[in-house]
Amino acid sequence: MSTTTETSTPVEPPRQPGQDRAPMARPSLGRLWDTWGVTAILLILLALTPLFAPDFMELENLQSVLRESAYLGIVAAGMTFAIASGAFDLSVGGQLALVSVVTLMAYSAGGTAAAIGAAVATGLACGLVNAGLITRLRVPPFVATLGTLFVFRGVAYILTQDGPKTLPYDQIDSPFVKIGGLNVAGLPLPFVIMLAVYGAAWIILRRTATGRRILSYGSSPAAARFCGISENRIRVIVFALVGVSVGIAALTYITRVWTADGSAQDGFELKVIAAVVLGGTSLKGGKGTLIGTFSAVLLVSVLNDVLVSQGVPSAYQRIVLGCVLIVALTIDGLRTRFAVPGSFRRAVAGLAARPSASGGA
Amino acid sequence: MTDALRKAPLALPLLAVALVLAVTTNSFLTVGNLENVLVAAAIVAIPGLAMTFCLAMGEFDLSIGSTVSLAGVVCCSSIIDGMPALLAMALALVVGAVIGLANGLVVTKLGVTPFIATLATLVIVRGLSLAYTDGHDQIVSSAALKYLVGGRPLGVPMPILLAVLCTALAWWTVNRTRFGRWVCAVGSNREAARVSGLPVDRIRIAVYMLVGVAGGFWGLLISSQLQKGNGQLGMGFELDAITVVVLGGTALLGGRASVIGTLLGAVLIETIRNGLNLLNTPPAFQRISVGLLLIAALALLGLRRRTVKAAPVPVTVREAAA
Repeated sequence: MSTTTETSTPVEPPRQPGQDRAPMARPSLGRLWDTWGVTAILLILLALTPLFAPDFMELENLQSVLRESAYLGIVAAGMTFAIASGAFDLSVGGQLALVSVVTLMAYSAGGTAAAIGAAVATGLACGLVNAGLITRLRVPPFVATLGTLFVFRGVAYILTQDGPKTLPYDQIDSPFVKIGGLNVAGLPLPFVIMLAVYGAAWIILRRTATGRRILSYGSSPAAARFCGISENRIRVIVFALVGVSVGIAALTYITRVWTADGSAQDGFELKVIAAVVLGGTSLKGGKGTLIGTFSAVLLVSVLNDVLVSQGVPSAYQRIVLGCVLIVALTIDGLRTRFAVPGSFRRAVAGLAARPSASGGA
Repeated sequence: MTDALRKAPLALPLLAVALVLAVTTNSFLTVGNLENVLVAAAIVAIPGLAMTFCLAMGEFDLSIGSTVSLAGVVCCSSIIDGMPALLAMALALVVGAVIGLANGLVVTKLGVTPFIATLATLVIVRGLSLAYTDGHDQIVSSAALKYLVGGRPLGVPMPILLAVLCTALAWWTVNRTRFGRWVCAVGSNREAARVSGLPVDRIRIAVYMLVGVAGGFWGLLISSQLQKGNGQLGMGFELDAITVVVLGGTALLGGRASVIGTLLGAVLIETIRNGLNLLNTPPAFQRISVGLLLIAALALLGLRRRTVKAAPVPVTVREAAA
């Protein structure tokens, strides 16, 4: 669905691809803000936290914030690709629940290696199911993933009919459990994994042809198609990346909470999308920043930790999260409204029909 | 495909499901059970009809599940606090209208994508109703509220009467009024609608308010059924409302509304649910089946669109900008 902004702007003559949104475009304050704005806000928030939450800066608390942020952050890295390509994956919450349940089952059957393999494989399988629905059956991405959200959760419920899957306490010394609890040079292992994921994601997005294709597809599906970029391939890659990221995230999640059932992480998709959008990745596609997403994830985690430590009930935390999301999107909308280069995509998109518009969203 | 089948594509699957259930279970074809199915269908159909307008406009409202709980909570706790039941019920509808107005303003004035805007209000409103109740049930016993689902004027259950009334009203609005044409015009090509001088923003806000009020009414029906309000009620209801509409054949990209389709979609979903219940399948399967139905309906729509793709597709600004 378009916003008021898009349709009210007169259609402009097409420009050459690469004239805007190319990774190497001219530096400007707006561009700097897009990438580093959230990082700046995060630093300001960090500087202010000691004023109202004196305990925040203690090592243990910082470690727990980083440990807590890992699974959100890893999925957000994958979701950055999806949103940059102009689609969402709403099923990540269901995926996380399902992957966690399957992983725990695999662990009790075959130990650590089986659990890790099962996590990544299940995540990938979920992503491929989404991709298949979108490319083969031509279901708009966001409705397809809204449907699979319930399907994945439903399957997880069925697998846990005899009660939630849990890790037995005598496993406390197994290498699998250490994924969630270990510290590496003072940094929690989940956070180290998250750093590695972001490194890999940054390379894929910024230094490979695939990453450029994803961005240019999100920037203008029609133009990308004219340039011979396969829409289906983009969809498969993007949703597979989301699935794999959920698989990795589930490892850091499940080894910390020890239990999983169909209701695990209700509303997770919203947190992930909020973090990605807050980070400066445009919902209209074509623009993705992993640095922004990374900072936004930490921002959300810090905010969350402060709210919890101040005794704010979870009901109000939801309200705060929703409001933050609307504010972030309003800023995104305003930026697009006044940024002329954004009209390129609309102009070129106007030249050709888009039978599979990105979820109508 | 014949014309009749295209106009009511759900008639066949509905008959097929009913036939299978009639054969495999011996309680499906009892009067009591059929009445249960129709009452359940009526309760989903009423908000589904409002959602039909939203989808016909090419937009979504995901916040309706939370509206259900907040409206129910406000109504029940007001009755507990001594407010006359009718006034409390009216207040619940006002709450729905305000949520709809908020959605409409955020979408039109702030330019936030409807889908994300209403996802955000979904969370905010859920937070409000959880904060309002502190997670406790608001149990009421009110004859007036109970009458909404339990009443039988002329021997027909109240929800069925209401649903028939609402369907007639919605059909008339879509097919016979200026407003109905406007909504479809905005849905098929918003820019053209704007250039033609339609008050596009006001139409969109009106539709969001319509969905909000319907969500509030849904909340009343659920509270009437359960005799309580609770912050957890209505979770996942947005999926039901959208599935009903999409099953009925209202295009996701807007421009077309099928009122009768929505009604049949509601009956189909509730028949399948009822069947799954009668066959003793676990509740999880019911969620899965709604999700699968949604995907299947859209896959059919998508395949149908792909077969016509060879012909020149009219380019709409809306589609291009989506």
